[in-house]
Amino acid sequence: MTAPLRAVAKPGAWRLGTPRARRTVVVVLALAVIALTIASIAIGYAPFDVPAAFVDLVAGKTTLPAMVLWELRVPRALLGGLVGFSLGLTGAAMQGYLRNPLADPGILGISSAAALGAVLAFYGGLAAALSLALPLGGITGAGVAALLLNALAARGSGTLGLILAGVGLSSLAGALTALALNLSPNPYAALEIVFWMMGSLSDRSMDHVLLCLPLMGIGWGLMLSTASALDALTLGEDTAASLGVGLISVQLRLVTGAALAVGSGVAVSGAIGFVGLVVPHLMRPLVGARPGASLLPSGLAGAVLVLAADIGVRLLATRPELKLGVVTALVGAPFLIVLLLRNRGRRA
Amino acid sequence: MPLRAFLALTVVLAAMPAAGGPAEGPVRVVSMNLCADELVLRLADRAQVLAVTYLARDPRGSTVAAEAAGLPVTRGLTEEVVALRPDLVIAGAFTTRATVGMLKRVGSPVLELGVPADLDGVRAQIRQVATALGHPERGGAMVAELDARLASIVPAARPLRALVMRPNAFTVAPGGLGDALLRTAGLVNVAAEIGRDRFGQVPLEAAILADADLIVVDEGAPGMPSLADTLLHHPVFRALARARKTVSIPNRFWTCPGPQLAEVVARLAAAANAQAPRP
Repeated sequence: MTAPLRAVAKPGAWRLGTPRARRTVVVVLALAVIALTIASIAIGYAPFDVPAAFVDLVAGKTTLPAMVLWELRVPRALLGGLVGFSLGLTGAAMQGYLRNPLADPGILGISSAAALGAVLAFYGGLAAALSLALPLGGITGAGVAALLLNALAARGSGTLGLILAGVGLSSLAGALTALALNLSPNPYAALEIVFWMMGSLSDRSMDHVLLCLPLMGIGWGLMLSTASALDALTLGEDTAASLGVGLISVQLRLVTGAALAVGSGVAVSGAIGFVGLVVPHLMRPLVGARPGASLLPSGLAGAVLVLAADIGVRLLATRPELKLGVVTALVGAPFLIVLLLRNRGRRA
Repeated sequence: MPLRAFLALTVVLAAMPAAGGPAEGPVRVVSMNLCADELVLRLADRAQVLAVTYLARDPRGSTVAAEAAGLPVTRGLTEEVVALRPDLVIAGAFTTRATVGMLKRVGSPVLELGVPADLDGVRAQIRQVATALGHPERGGAMVAELDARLASIVPAARPLRALVMRPNAFTVAPGGLGDALLRTAGLVNVAAEIGRDRFGQVPLEAAILADADLIVVDEGAPGMPSLADTLLHHPVFRALARARKTVSIPNRFWTCPGPQLAEVVARLAAAANAQAPRP
């Protein structure tokens, strides 16, 4: 996280926010994602010869290390990158579209609603019958929340109004999740509230990756396709419309994209907060204030953040391991408070 | 002072039937712990049992669900227990602590059962509960039944390395009753080699790399999904099950003192001998 910042922030090297600087940021972040993915695969609870296991895997030998590598380490690293990218990208897209620096799938309650949808699909037994029901449940929950918030934003509630509505939605979804889990007949289920509310990547499988990857991919595509429209929208909706931006189409692509990316991510990893809030703010000084330009870098930075947090919880000596949401909240909550204070200062 | 005297009098009056009880009729008990339920329902006359826990009726966790049907149940609240006016309350040493503390303060006779760490502890606890219920001979009979069943089991021919996986990737810690059962079956508990957290939870990758010969799981009830059970259906276990022997033994057989413990040993030994027959 800090390495690209330092590399780019060298004074006098070249101006930030130019297309060349933006390309450099994307390349550096992409390299960081790759490096952290490899580190995430190499780091774990049981030491074994990872390169040798990789050779076994490629040769098709089902040795125990190869099994652990393919069924546990690789899915965990991939999911960290996928979920982080989804959260970062969605955060950047929502902040750009709502022109609200506090917009984030976690704060606005989209993640909690996705968790509720996934919980209903999973503990209701739907996911046992059809595994696709799990991400679809998450997507439905996220989609309903995103639509509600969009309707609210369209009615012209201000920054704070939208955030407060999000807080309300988030609390409601959290309460309903707890209720659904308490009503579930399995005694373990009630203890699993923490996973759905704080998120974790421990002991996920390749099945989870395959379930969420295609849906996320579509969501990313939809959100990235709005980049130029988001830039035009910074001039105001009327000007954007006169520039040929179809507002309904943009809104539809963003809501669907956010629901697909966040919903399927939360369904496999639980709700990991604050990633979408923090990374767009970190990226904007590097790539310029245009919301379209910060989409891809924010996604990559989100992946970096989640992968690093997931490596962190495994290196920390706390057992059972910390939930990912704990780490991201430790970083993100102070960040949110600083943002709020700065926001107030500007208005005064 | 008058208030305290009044309170004391009330308590004495409340305890009157109890105080008069043991001399004349059979001891009437309330059980506040699932393991105590299992012993009480097997050792006492049905008329002696005033109430068991609500857990006793659930066939997923209880081995006495049939016996518990029709009996009153409590959730271990003081007011429920006191209202039943038992001669004896049997509680676990680690469950419903607040209620146990309150019952002791009002002077109710409470028998607290510890968690036995081996089969000798199991035998002692069976005898202890049977004696407290006024039927020591039934305790002796249950211990004899357990021992006879254990004696009839052919232990594993080779000391295979076994890994017990419970929901949420919990395992049986060395030094506990589960570990003693594995040893009685002639097996070696792999959990001793893996790093566990203080609750006995193991990381899946450490469990797989421990390279156990025999994997003991408890499959959750179908139609009651939880992440805890899902962990036991992780693809890595499916992959492992192709190469190794897996045996399923329900959790309810493992934890409580009683004749069902012999069933655990029998299934473990049978699975081990099917995996690696006597040379």
